[in-house]
Amino acid sequence: MPEQSLNIPQLLAVLLITFFAIRWYISPSTTTHSSNSSARQRRGPRPEQIEQIAQMFPQLDRRSIGWDLARNGGNVGATTERILGRGLDVPPLNFQLPAVSTASPSTSSTPSSRHNPAASQPKHPDLITRYNLGSKVNAPVEEKEDISAGKKPAWSGDKAKRQAELQKRKEEMILKARQKMLERVEKERKGEGS
Amino acid sequence: MSSSAVASKRLFHEYRTLTNDPPEGITAGPVNEDDLFLWEALIQGPEGTPFEGGLFPAELKFPKDYPLAPPKMKFTCDIWHPNVYPSGDVCISILHPPGDDPNHYEHASERWSPIQSVEKILISVMSMLAEPNDESPANVDAARMWRERRSEYEKIVRENVRKGLGL
Repeated sequence: MPEQSLNIPQLLAVLLITFFAIRWYISPSTTTHSSNSSARQRRGPRPEQIEQIAQMFPQLDRRSIGWDLARNGGNVGATTERILGRGLDVPPLNFQLPAVSTASPSTSSTPSSRHNPAASQPKHPDLITRYNLGSKVNAPVEEKEDISAGKKPAWSGDKAKRQAELQKRKEEMILKARQKMLERVEKERKGEGS
Repeated sequence: MSSSAVASKRLFHEYRTLTNDPPEGITAGPVNEDDLFLWEALIQGPEGTPFEGGLFPAELKFPKDYPLAPPKMKFTCDIWHPNVYPSGDVCISILHPPGDDPNHYEHASERWSPIQSVEKILISVMSMLAEPNDESPANVDAARMWRERRSEYEKIVRENVRKGLGL
């Protein structure tokens, strides 16, 4: 009978497909999925680790550091080597740092930028925090009269001096900008009041 | 090895030029002279724009075959701008190697070539802040807001400016 001989392989095929379908259906939810999420919870980047690396490389974005740590299971050494080697990757947009209040120990006068879980944009510390200028913010900026006049920054033959000079120029630029902005904010406030 | 030596030499030279004769509102140099391929720049927001008064830090990463290939530039602050990706990466024609634009938005002369320089990049970025290029936005939301709700866009920019200065 030709009909029956055709039906048996068909039946077998259906059974086989059902078997794999069920197996595929069950396995992701029991094995891969659960082990994945538990591993992530267990070995996510700890805030201290991110802080530790951020102090070594203040120019780096904390999210990038956190992302790298999250991927290598919180290995500070590996992340450091990666930074020194080919650099960190850009974290995906949906990556969030573990929620902590990053109260910076050095600067207390300025509120450090908080991580807003709702914002999709990465949050960066402000320049005062980043350059550790908390102590200098309230000190008067020395004689701003000669902003435009003279005082050409000369190139120094000494590497350390050059480095220090560049750092100083950046700090001055930041403090001046802040000072100006502060004046403007106050002016606006007065304008609104009167 | 030799191409990286060429790059170091050129970067060192550019660093010296920028130190001796810095363009208005720009300070830039290597984060650490032991690695001339990573720079940090501070760019002032152009006057007469919502970025006015702000100071925007960015990092520049140079390839080993600089100046044949352009550096990558990334703002390391919160910046809301049509041509800056939410990650901070800057999308501007001078940072694109010639022949790299499949859409032909940009003229070859606007793009990177070894006769450009760090100074020119930073100046271009400064004017980009003032005048966003609407043709190929990197931050689609910012671009839409810039087009359709300008006052809202300017408000975000101003807020970021103040936050960046710790105010």
